Amino acid sequence: MRRNVILGLAPLLLPYCALFCAGLTLTLAQSMGLFLPLGPGEATLEYYQALTRDQGLGLSLRLSLFVAFFSAAGSVLGGTVLALALWRMPPGLRRVGVVSKIGLILPHVAVAFLVLLMLSQTGLVSSALFQLGLISTPEEFPNILHTGSGLGMILAFLLKGVPFALLLIGAVLFGFDIRLIQTARMLGAGPLRTFWSVTLPRLLPAMHSAFIILFLYAFGSFDIPFVLGESHPGMLSIRVFDIFFHRDLSQRPQAMAILTVMFVFAAVFAMLYNRFAAYMDAWRRKL
Amino acid sequence: MRVTFFLSLLFLALTAGCSDAPQEESVLQQDYASLEKAARGTEVRWHMWGGSAQINQWVDTYVAGEMKRLYDINVVRVPMDAPVFVNKLLTEKAANKNTGTMDLLWINGENFKNSMQAGVLFGPFTDRLPNFAAWYDPQKAAHDFGYPVDGFEAPYGRAQFVFEFDTARTATPPADMAELAEWIKANPGRFTYPQPPDFTGSAFLRQIFYATTGGHEQYMDGINPELYAKNAPQTFAWLSDIKPYLWQEGRTYPKDAAALDTLFARGEIDMGMSYHPAHAQMKILEKTYPDTVRTFVLAEGAIFNTHFTAIPFNAPNKAGAMVLANFLMSPEAQLSKFRPENWGDLHALEVQKLDVAQREAFDAVDLGEATLDAGTLSAVAVPEIPSEYLELLERDWDKFILGH
Amino acid sequence: MRHAPTMLVLAFLFLLPVLVLILQAGAPGWRYPELWPELGLDGVRFLATRPGPFLTALTGSLGYSLATVVLTLSMTILPAKALAYSSFRGKTLLEGLLLLPALVPAMTFSMGLHFIFIKIGLADTAPGVILVLSMISYPYMLRALTTGYTLMGREYEICARNLGASKWRVFLEVELPQLLPAMAAGGSVVFLVAFSEYFLVFLIGGGSVASFTGYLFPLITSSNRGLGALVTLVFLAVPIALFIVLELGLYRYHRKRRMR
Repeated sequence: MRRNVILGLAPLLLPYCALFCAGLTLTLAQSMGLFLPLGPGEATLEYYQALTRDQGLGLSLRLSLFVAFFSAAGSVLGGTVLALALWRMPPGLRRVGVVSKIGLILPHVAVAFLVLLMLSQTGLVSSALFQLGLISTPEEFPNILHTGSGLGMILAFLLKGVPFALLLIGAVLFGFDIRLIQTARMLGAGPLRTFWSVTLPRLLPAMHSAFIILFLYAFGSFDIPFVLGESHPGMLSIRVFDIFFHRDLSQRPQAMAILTVMFVFAAVFAMLYNRFAAYMDAWRRKL
Repeated sequence: MRVTFFLSLLFLALTAGCSDAPQEESVLQQDYASLEKAARGTEVRWHMWGGSAQINQWVDTYVAGEMKRLYDINVVRVPMDAPVFVNKLLTEKAANKNTGTMDLLWINGENFKNSMQAGVLFGPFTDRLPNFAAWYDPQKAAHDFGYPVDGFEAPYGRAQFVFEFDTARTATPPADMAELAEWIKANPGRFTYPQPPDFTGSAFLRQIFYATTGGHEQYMDGINPELYAKNAPQTFAWLSDIKPYLWQEGRTYPKDAAALDTLFARGEIDMGMSYHPAHAQMKILEKTYPDTVRTFVLAEGAIFNTHFTAIPFNAPNKAGAMVLANFLMSPEAQLSKFRPENWGDLHALEVQKLDVAQREAFDAVDLGEATLDAGTLSAVAVPEIPSEYLELLERDWDKFILGH
Repeated sequence: MRHAPTMLVLAFLFLLPVLVLILQAGAPGWRYPELWPELGLDGVRFLATRPGPFLTALTGSLGYSLATVVLTLSMTILPAKALAYSSFRGKTLLEGLLLLPALVPAMTFSMGLHFIFIKIGLADTAPGVILVLSMISYPYMLRALTTGYTLMGREYEICARNLGASKWRVFLEVELPQLLPAMAAGGSVVFLVAFSEYFLVFLIGGGSVASFTGYLFPLITSSNRGLGALVTLVFLAVPIALFIVLELGLYRYHRKRRMR
């Protein structure tokens, strides 16, 4: 690496190490019983062993993964469909897509609040159905927010995720050379085939990025689960928060151990997913 | 090379910064007049639960305005749950952070006990406050959930546990525990309680504990593990018994009192509860509740408690915090707080000690249709339990009720 | 009309919520099964009687979010150039590592960092909050700027340098104008990330750093939904106003340059 490259990267690498790496190192150290507020202790793995014995933790992990997967996949799907629909509009009309920015701007807590307003059993949708005569009591309205599977949280993440995916995918799509499509159509390709072999491959990188970002965000986020989460099982982030703030200091390594596991999972997931996407890409090209 | 640099940075980070000089204790030696003088022009950061817009507004307008006018002190309200700021204090103590950021805390119960045991509170300071000496009965504020206060907390208000119902939906509320259980079973899905360790949910748990195990007297002499082990199963049996008839069949619980209020306000459940007798009236005035809402208590008793303010060991402005704590105890502040349009929190002072005009002002406060009168409330008043019991109850609720 | 379904979906997803918020803001006691509540201005009056804490929270959030934009910009402008124009061994790995702070859950490093910040006196301070927010948001700025540099290419810079312009002059007069759109794009995302973050500001700021999300959070979870909705609407309005100002500013800037 040349000297000037290192110099050029220094403004970023220094804070990266001093904040990000240092923070992670301390999280790791505390998870092993070191550098704790109660004083430096001896290195131990007992807190990780305790994690494996905690059955509730498994349920939390499953819920977190479930919510993260469906909110990310749904967002990418919805964002792609919306982007394609907007793309087919004349450029002047396409500007209506700007309303999706509302979803980007609203903070996660506000989106959770909206889901609560609209979809609880006595929410607005339920009220509307009642007025239409489709249901006669709130109990007849499907119990979306309390299924134990995180459906309410998924819907909230979707409302934030769809515009985000739309932004990433639209950026590629709207800058797309229309002549490519026209050529393909002239060569006799049907619309489906044109989409499959011309349009989609160009969108895939943006779709993959959107998926990774949204998946990991939902996996580790705090705001939406805090408002919409149920008592049992809770999302991993809420468990960490509870242990960190509502229990005594001696339990803190437990929280740090969960965080370390979450970090390793996120990093490995991002890496493997990238590999997988590249592999799929190569495989599809071969076809 | 980068690695060594980074490691040394981390080392620096962990060893540096513990050099703050210990706070001199002279604040406790000064007389109140000089404290007031010292606090002039300063800022007091008051950390308190922030879940009620009405209470927040009272602090932001009345308290902040009066403190500015009378003492030239800027009061900054910081919304934070009590367990969170206690935890923050413990961390700061362990990290030797001798100048913190919190000046005054709104605290009681197990949070106070934990703070005292960890030595993170400043004091004793209440004997320095003229309003405490003038209007309060030290005997009544000597214990907080059974834990000796020893002058580390200044009384701030009193509260009592009540249930809320809407006369438009429920004609007559249950009169005692047995009727409550009957009512819950007859109206499946229309009752729930906030998830302990939420303050109100935990209080409900104690109500049930008293009622199902033969009253509060036996618990007043501190923790007795055998007694708890003998009695607790009856409480959890009662709770398990009603669980299938709760909102969402007891699979999930509102996470705090505010979430419960919302369910009640929207009509998703038919009964609410609060640790503030005038809470319902306040919500009616705020237009969140319909004006047909009323409150009731059960014959077995309704827990009351005193809540307090305390000062952290590392408060940067102890003089200012003491002036604020003193102001909050003044008859004027207590009266303002007592009015339901402001908050409706019961006053903690002794009305007999006031002069006639002040006493009449207190008597003239109309707590509203929805609030029970003082006689009804005091007839069923029972004291809080020692906080060790509370912690056991909350732990076992997690174990036996949640997730089963 | 062919495009009506798309419009409907967009309106349903993004305009209906705003309408609901507006209605709820005027009706704290909106009950099942009313569809059209009785509207009042209690919420507005409530805020107007003493706007102090509300405004402190708003300016606090604006302040640290804008500072985060400036800090991330200065952290990434040189590295973006280095990443765009040079290749070296391990570059892909480095790029991947540099993206991690935006990908992994922010809790994982911030809770460790919090303890370090307590030790060095950065906890409960605005600089501490700005630092940690910069950490989770700089990857967006880095990405935008790297793309900006790549699209621009080196030709202009080399040409100007050959004509004898100083490094600074090249940056100010050649690179900066062309990078402005990338900076605006990156800056907008960074601003939004910082402005809407609740947990990190709560953790690192410890309540001492006034924040709008910190003001909003207890309201949203309280039973006074009218006030929660009202404050959410303000939350929506502020960034929108900022973005309009930004767009107009960029537009006028470019028109001016073209006129010269």
